[in-house]
Amino acid sequence: MQDLIQLLLNGLSTGAVYALFALGYTLVFSVLGVINFAHGAVFTLGAYFTYLLIGGAVGANGLLAGWQLPFALPFWLALPLAGIAAGGVALVIERIAFAPLRRRSADPLLALITSLGAGVVLVNLIQLLVGAESYAIPTGALAGLPAAIGVLGAQVRSVQLLLLAVATLLLAALSFWIDGTRSGKALQAVSEDAITARLLGIPSDRLIAIAFGLSGVLAGIAGGLVALSVSIAGPYFGIGYGLKGLGVLVLGGLGSIPGAVLGGLIIGLAEACVPAAWSGYRDVVAYGFLFVMLLVRPQGLLGRVLPTKV
Amino acid sequence: MLPALSSRLPHALVALLGGLALVSSGCRSGDPSSQRPPDLQGGVPVGAVLALTGNANLYGQDQRLGLNLALEAINARGGIGGTPLRLNVEDGGSDEPGASAAMTLQIRRGMLAVIGPTLSQQAFAADPIAQRLGVPVVAPSNTATGIPQIGSFISRVSAQSSVIAPLSIAKALQLQPSIRRAAVFYAQDDAYSTAETGIFQKALTARGLKPVTVQRTQLADNDFQSQISATLALKPDLIVLSLQAVDGGNLVRQLRELGYRGTIVVGNGMNTPNIYPICQKYCDGLLIAQAYSPELNTAANRAFVQAFRANQARSGRGPTIPPQLTAQAYTALQVVAEALQRLNQRTPLATLSLARARSNLMDEILAGTYDTPLGEIRFTAEGEVIQKDFFVAQVRMKPDGRSGSFTLLL
Repeated sequence: MQDLIQLLLNGLSTGAVYALFALGYTLVFSVLGVINFAHGAVFTLGAYFTYLLIGGAVGANGLLAGWQLPFALPFWLALPLAGIAAGGVALVIERIAFAPLRRRSADPLLALITSLGAGVVLVNLIQLLVGAESYAIPTGALAGLPAAIGVLGAQVRSVQLLLLAVATLLLAALSFWIDGTRSGKALQAVSEDAITARLLGIPSDRLIAIAFGLSGVLAGIAGGLVALSVSIAGPYFGIGYGLKGLGVLVLGGLGSIPGAVLGGLIIGLAEACVPAAWSGYRDVVAYGFLFVMLLVRPQGLLGRVLPTKV
Repeated sequence: MLPALSSRLPHALVALLGGLALVSSGCRSGDPSSQRPPDLQGGVPVGAVLALTGNANLYGQDQRLGLNLALEAINARGGIGGTPLRLNVEDGGSDEPGASAAMTLQIRRGMLAVIGPTLSQQAFAADPIAQRLGVPVVAPSNTATGIPQIGSFISRVSAQSSVIAPLSIAKALQLQPSIRRAAVFYAQDDAYSTAETGIFQKALTARGLKPVTVQRTQLADNDFQSQISATLALKPDLIVLSLQAVDGGNLVRQLRELGYRGTIVVGNGMNTPNIYPICQKYCDGLLIAQAYSPELNTAANRAFVQAFRANQARSGRGPTIPPQLTAQAYTALQVVAEALQRLNQRTPLATLSLARARSNLMDEILAGTYDTPLGEIRFTAEGEVIQKDFFVAQVRMKPDGRSGSFTLLL
């Protein structure tokens, strides 16, 4: 029983990270129907913003070597601020990489390439400014919380539980906004058909910008939390998460917000089920599972099959 | 996913250009430029291929510092027969294509010898290029079995894992004779890790401690919750890691956070102060066998430590105790410079073709005995380093958990 609880906790805590990452990914997809490849870079930025806001200094490399902010905020304040800053960057990406193409009614596939370009620029900019070294948020950032918590005999790191709680909270907040508010419903209308929505008086461009900004906030918060959990391995920090996030997005159902969370948790659990002796092959199991799921249910777990209108 | 492309695009471009350059210049025997004398304008050219980006960047940065210190010292003494040494550092990233591309470029630029690449995994890909074109390579940090065996132009100043790794196991058992159950972690997608874990496991088994579990990870992993809970369920009192600094640092932190209090032995991949910011206070107590000790009391090491400290004071940052990788990189350039000096005295470099100079330089490297920060070293005919002094150190973190030191255990 204890082993089962441990396995569940391991899977859920890993899955929460994937879910948190995929939430922002799926928000943009649900509106524009394209994948924002710059999402991983915004996630990475969120981690760096958090590090700097808690008073972290830039290391020995990069143009800003040795630089730090003149103040140091507690982690709980730095994290949302980092999320807001990342949201600002996501807005800029939307203006530069997506809006011009949308105005010209260009093929959505082109936005995929411009977002890829924006991401490449961002990652290289990070490297230029703060170098390629690793950074970590001090282990005492969650003052008052023990390093690990026991649940019915199983052990889990507090920060992992925090990730799970934040992912759940953000899912609830996002679902409430989309289904329970006027602007959320307007966003749904834009995602159905932006032109018709505009004809009906809905400010499509503003809502799309809000979706991007929110997606950036989610990525920034996810980046800051993951940095707290496992350190920032360098400007390419978002690589693995980007790949997993894409898998989660497809498994959960493209554009489905609850699907992103469900997909993340399922991949996390699938990885946790890999026997210890095969732990180095976790990714194979996760992606193999994804492959089989797609063969059986191509629209993903909670995705909709869109009828083709002739 | 996107940064993966961003990190590879420049390397891919460099690889393409390097490949075109090679094709245009032909192979070793038919390369017309290698029949001309080496280009000594601006100094005697020596190249380096270091991991300055990617997940091994921490090592590359330690190494770059070592090379720069050696360069200063060599040129302050008059360089090579009055001509300064010119060091050209190229970023080989942390993967094999990056290292191969950088190696190709350095060769194409007419370097007399190349120091690097940083990782064993990269060396297995890049060194055969240098071997094929007859360019001496001195590896400053490759510890996997089989590096000098790549070919007659490949040597290393970094003692192989099989010599060093068992020392830390012996020390752990000496400090804690009650140890009965050992667990092992290694990164299965890394040549250094897989080579070193084999040696660790053999050393453990030889002492009657057959590992109760062997956990395989990957270099890019950073969340080890599942592997750790599986391991801790087996109640080990010794955990042995063959990992690199970032993944290893994260694993140590998570092991301690999840309640493991036993001894941890780490391998050469974590032999850098750059682990401090990752595992922070949890780095305290790690045991590691080293090929370098800052406390080695020789004139060469004292001079090196002094130069290192002066540099750190000047820049106002970083540790004041030199890491092993810095000392080894310093040693690698010292070896090349002393061999060049001897070669130049025998036959002035300007009178030799580039190909002949490279070939003769390799002979000089292997023939010499060197008084270095690592102690006295020389080479076997195969290019394997012969080193006298090895050490076991323990990481001691300061109370703030942000800085620490590798304290020598006697």
